[in-house]
Amino acid sequence: MAQTRSGSNLIWNILSYAVLILLAVLSIGPLLWMLLTSFKVEDDIVTRTMVYLPTRFTLENYIKLWNQSGYPVLVINSLVTTTLTVAICLFTGTIASYAFSRFNFPGRTPLMLGYLVVRMFPAVLMIIPLFIVMRNLGLFDTSLGLAVAYTSFLLPLFVWMLKGFFDAAPTELESAARIDGSTRIGAMFRIVIPIARNGLVATCVFVAIAAWNEYLFALMLTSSTGSRTWPVGLQLMVGEFQLPWGMLAAGGIISIIPVIVLFALVQRVMVAGITAGAVKG
Amino acid sequence: MATLSIKGVRKSFGAVEVLNNIDIEVEDGGFLVLLGPSGCGKSTLLAIIAGLEPSSGGDILIGDKNVNDVHPKDRNIAMVFQSYALYPTMPVRRNIGFGLEMRKVDAKEREAAVQRAAELLQIEHLLDRKPGQLSGGQRQRVAMGRAIVRNPDLFLFDEPLSNLDAKLRVEMRTEIKRLHDRLGTTTVYVTHDQVEALTLGTKVAVMKGGVIQQLADPETIYDRPANMFVAGFIGSPTMNFLTGMLEHGDGGLVLRHAAGSLALVGLEQDVAAFVGREVVAGIRPETLNAGQGAAGLQGIVDVVEPTGPDTMVIVSVGGQLLTARLGPKVRPKPGDTLNLSVDTAAINLFDPVTGNRI
Repeated sequence: MAQTRSGSNLIWNILSYAVLILLAVLSIGPLLWMLLTSFKVEDDIVTRTMVYLPTRFTLENYIKLWNQSGYPVLVINSLVTTTLTVAICLFTGTIASYAFSRFNFPGRTPLMLGYLVVRMFPAVLMIIPLFIVMRNLGLFDTSLGLAVAYTSFLLPLFVWMLKGFFDAAPTELESAARIDGSTRIGAMFRIVIPIARNGLVATCVFVAIAAWNEYLFALMLTSSTGSRTWPVGLQLMVGEFQLPWGMLAAGGIISIIPVIVLFALVQRVMVAGITAGAVKG
Repeated sequence: MATLSIKGVRKSFGAVEVLNNIDIEVEDGGFLVLLGPSGCGKSTLLAIIAGLEPSSGGDILIGDKNVNDVHPKDRNIAMVFQSYALYPTMPVRRNIGFGLEMRKVDAKEREAAVQRAAELLQIEHLLDRKPGQLSGGQRQRVAMGRAIVRNPDLFLFDEPLSNLDAKLRVEMRTEIKRLHDRLGTTTVYVTHDQVEALTLGTKVAVMKGGVIQQLADPETIYDRPANMFVAGFIGSPTMNFLTGMLEHGDGGLVLRHAAGSLALVGLEQDVAAFVGREVVAGIRPETLNAGQGAAGLQGIVDVVEPTGPDTMVIVSVGGQLLTARLGPKVRPKPGDTLNLSVDTAAINLFDPVTGNRI
């Protein structure tokens, strides 16, 4: 009996590992291929037979990208837009989700559902009205305008996620803080937010990555290099008669560096935040 | 320190009335216990006193000051919560001193006050730990430290011992009593545990369905319960109820029940109006003794439960089950016929229709 169980355990383990390894290969493979491509010369990329490893290691793609295509501006634009998006979400979303979590006001449930409704429509539907709004407000082709547009669909995510983390913090703690001499808002900043810190970091990272990678809105709501973000810039490098694979790969690699750095910095906090939310929220 | 007056306090959530016209006065240095089953409104009343919940009507006065519209932070109260509500991100030292910190007390003075409170509760060695590293009993002490450090006018306790194991609960109960004797701060204490209520309170309010059933000192609550709810809620094992007809007998009033009659010698109540009607006699298990006396009952032993210091004997008297708390050496067998003498002066008679004490 015991042997049968350990036998089936072994098969189960092998299967799990096989699936996990497959998933790992699927997600790491393209990244690795992009990395290799970025170090190849043109002759190694466009070939009759597949060349896996660069025959000649080169940084030429990176140099060309950096010097000729205005890529640094694109990355800076993306950084500005992402920072603005996170800042707006952090400021408005934290207060909103605290209110949703703690107060029982008339219209609370419809309002929360309203937040979700935004996400039920395809992004394409929202772009035209947003385009008109931004143009009339003079926010078209600005980083702020793009950040506001991102907020329109990222704020619901932010509020709903953070509400779960706030819900997990016992209300008695705020009652205790209020008796101890805090105001409600003071109790929120001194007691609840420190408890929900991991969740807050996790939520911010989600929003930041979504804003960093966004393409469609950025394509529609920017028209010049003054505010264009890297995904759009990268796509525009593909011309009718040219496909600069090496530069595209180099651009891809550069653009994921901030994401990797962000993850490395907050990884532990974020995992703690997500799992805490999963268990309690 | 201060008195506490609760005047006509009501609370309703929509159509549901959870507190109905509550009137309580607590003297300076008094210890009021709000006792009742879950959902009786006792915690809501405490939250209203604390200012965490608005009332739907009535007044709360701490000292002479009406605090209806006063923010919890300005009521000069301290509260110990059932979950202790220690701030998980702060070490014990800061948890205890948080109230002083919020009141901008100078750091040196704050430190001294925290140290004093910690010494009083014997938790000096825990000051640098986080709440997550403490045991239940230690958390309880820290929560109390946070309450006493500020010298508040009023202590509020919301079922503070219910998360502790039985042994620790008894210890902490003694600790709370000692603390109250020492500090003399007016206290309101919510519990569903009648032993806590009787041992701690100078005044006990038994509540049910948002209404105070009885407000009196613990002795009166135990010996002379106002109605059958209070009688049944207080005491373990609970009070026995023996139904019978109240009649005039040879030497005075008797209770004629299914298996005979019980002479009501020394009854304190004026029950003249109920003669010839059915009444319920409330008999505490410890007022029943083995053997025959001036007034007695005879029944068949149903179950015998030795508990160590006592033996609980459940006896069937004409089909009604009564529990008797007898001495440790008394060991009747199930099926035996047992004679019990009754201290009839301790009996309470209730009206079976209203449930109230006659």
